[in-house]
Amino acid sequence: MTSSTVLSPSATSGGYPGGGARVLSIARLHFVNKSTVFTVPALILTGILVVNLIIWAIIFNSVAVEDRADVGEGLQWSGSTFYIFVYTFVIAVQAINVTFPFALGYGVTRKHFALGTALALLGLAAVYSITLTLAAMIETWTGGWGFGGKMFTAIYFPANTWYEYLFVYFAYFALFFFTGSFFAAIYSRWRIYGLLLSFLGLAILIIATLAIIGATNAWGEVFAYLGALAPLGFVAWSFVPTAIAALAAFAVIRRATPKG
Amino acid sequence: MTAVIEASGLTKRFGSMTAVDSASFSIEQNTITGLLGRNGAGKTTLMQLLTAQQFATSGSVEILGASPVENAPVLQQVCFIKESQKYPDDFQPRHVFASAPWFFPNWDADFAERLIADFRVPLRRRMKKLSRGQVSSVGVIVGLAARAPITFFDEPYLGLDAVARQVFYDRLLEDYAEHPRTVLLSTHLIDEVSNLLEHVLVIDDGRIIVDEDAETLRGRATTVAGAASAVERFTIGRDVLHTERLGGLATATVSTLSERDRQEAADHGLELAPVSLQQLIIRLTTNPAESTPLATTGSEKRS
Repeated sequence: MTSSTVLSPSATSGGYPGGGARVLSIARLHFVNKSTVFTVPALILTGILVVNLIIWAIIFNSVAVEDRADVGEGLQWSGSTFYIFVYTFVIAVQAINVTFPFALGYGVTRKHFALGTALALLGLAAVYSITLTLAAMIETWTGGWGFGGKMFTAIYFPANTWYEYLFVYFAYFALFFFTGSFFAAIYSRWRIYGLLLSFLGLAILIIATLAIIGATNAWGEVFAYLGALAPLGFVAWSFVPTAIAALAAFAVIRRATPKG
Repeated sequence: MTAVIEASGLTKRFGSMTAVDSASFSIEQNTITGLLGRNGAGKTTLMQLLTAQQFATSGSVEILGASPVENAPVLQQVCFIKESQKYPDDFQPRHVFASAPWFFPNWDADFAERLIADFRVPLRRRMKKLSRGQVSSVGVIVGLAARAPITFFDEPYLGLDAVARQVFYDRLLEDYAEHPRTVLLSTHLIDEVSNLLEHVLVIDDGRIIVDEDAETLRGRATTVAGAASAVERFTIGRDVLHTERLGGLATATVSTLSERDRQEAADHGLELAPVSLQQLIIRLTTNPAESTPLATTGSEKRS
């Protein structure tokens, strides 16, 4: 009987870590393979930058000096950082689809898995945002890497100061991470049909919103409101879908079961 | 003795398919129990229910006296190694061995090192590139070195060769002797593990059909062999699990025989032989329709 008391759940506080430690272990689990979360994205981003530099150099040397301002104007429509956000989405999907069944084998509850994963994704969003903000600052200080090029300060990042860039980048990364988590959680729980239904539901929601605005003749007001929003305010609104996606992912994963 | 795993009326349905059908049993602390049954009998689903990876349709599970569902104090003492275990993309064995100790407080790093050498696991190769046996080895190493108070092994050695399987049995027994824990092992290599097991659960078509001490089970059936007519006469009125005929000779597997029964068999010139655990389970889980009377050997079914 004595040995059984040692093993009873109520008596485990001494030898076994508490919930907080479990959550941290899950967060660490997402970072154990550093190449996926750090090395690979860094290498690809550097590769894109190098290709861009070459293209900018060619353009820069082929246009007359007086036209260079115009070129700079055109270069701000650069989507070359888009890949990193897609990659972010994929990381979130993998973090749930593959790490979830793996972590369950380690005797982790779904709640601790969800919290640890959210912590890891927020940490990654912070690291990525800081890196891209630094790159944006270098791009500004060097006058677009010496060629007036724009990759990290493209038009999609409506910011001027370093903290505005940090804010915008963090908002975007959080949005991609948590929408990725949401769809991965849906897939983990209801597989492909769940995914298709959630896409359908989302499409209906968007169309219904547009229809309501149209039916009530409110387009004028909507555009007035959006126009009045500073670009940063517009970005700040992204935290609403981000938060909804995160909470929904949490609710969905609490009853998910591993495949196969 | 204390029961650390208790299932009562445990049922899991997937649509119209009943994977586990009102299973009730208990497993004593610090024993090695075999969960035996054919493919698709419900072994994996049962283990997933016990480890809260699946949610029961009805019935209850208690691990260490509480439901394991979303119960961190209980699940922290559980390690579940399954044959179909998925590993994160781009994971290498070294990532698995680096992260496992964060989740298992009893993790023994030296023991893990020894096992990695025993099983010759390449540490720096992507899991996707490993052979089936090497992937299984990684799971087996985690399951052993974790020293979780309750360890579930679901067909842990798919693709492992005979040498590696023997290493697994040896290490499991050695380590179990020094660090007693509760082990539930599902397998269909019954003869190989039969010496390891203290208790046996047999699941067939979702139902637990045997829940017995391994020792008792081994004595539960006997093979009677001799002239067909003599065997036929002897088996009248007895519980016959299986019969085979070859010309004028026949063998029959019958339930436990008393001393008097044995004497009677000897008087009729019949030979008695013990039935191996594997043979017994094949007899118990083969549909009568599937066992042809003229079969010359035990019809071992593996789908």
